[in-house]
Amino acid sequence: MQGLEQASDHDLIALVARGDHAGFAAFAALVRRHGPSIRRLARALTDDVAADDVLQEAMVDAFRGAAGFRGEGSVRGWLFALARNRAVRHRASARRAEIPDTPLLQLGVEAGYGERPERAAERLEQRDALSVGLARLPPEEREILLLRDVEGLSGEEAAEVLGLALPAMKSRLHRARLRLMAALRETGGSDGE
Amino acid sequence: MASERVVGGLTCAEVLAHLGDFLDGELAPEVLTQVRAHVAGCGACERFGGAYAAAVTALRATEREAALDAEQIASIVASAASAASAAKAG
Repeated sequence: MQGLEQASDHDLIALVARGDHAGFAAFAALVRRHGPSIRRLARALTDDVAADDVLQEAMVDAFRGAAGFRGEGSVRGWLFALARNRAVRHRASARRAEIPDTPLLQLGVEAGYGERPERAAERLEQRDALSVGLARLPPEEREILLLRDVEGLSGEEAAEVLGLALPAMKSRLHRARLRLMAALRETGGSDGE
Repeated sequence: MASERVVGGLTCAEVLAHLGDFLDGELAPEVLTQVRAHVAGCGACERFGGAYAAAVTALRATEREAALDAEQIASIVASAASAASAAKAG
């Protein structure tokens, strides 16, 4: 099995597409490799309970769709997109909150421009501060921070997963980072003032 | 925010708008020069840019998610096998 763990994502998908015994072993290797990141994205878009369902459904979608994977983008990006589609279905019944259309200047002020902006960074030194701050953001902003900054997708990959043009992805990312800074300042209370 | 103040050919508001691309290394060279000149001469933007960079650095340093346990992996593989069987039968 060591060979599979070292195989490229594209080689694993090609094996999965065969649908034989080796295909199942390759599928398990893909689940092991990418499952944690997919689950984290699913959790950001739904909740702890639904996240495991989203993970399972997305990976089964990947298994079914392996033969049709064209190999133009990254396997990881494709898996994220499948998980996103599944998460959206889980959220379909819940009322979808719009991302607040706050002017950029106002976001900058809320993030601390001109008034101890380093408070957000100081807050990050506290345990669990980042997860608490992320939890206060709209799911669409959590997701872009996870994909681009936490998981390290390239700008082009993240834009493709999200179905956005590159400039729109960059704008959403920048606004999400500012809103995270604002959330970190808010959750920090008045300590350090 | 002193959004109308011009330093290095840019206002603070324009620097705020460029901050994401600045940090991601995606600014055109001429804009990059202007942003650097602005930040060098504007303490508020320098401080804010530093805080922004620190927040993004913290995001990028987030620990990897814990591995899936063997039982969960087996369950996902079993679901895929069921789907494959159903597809063959159907």
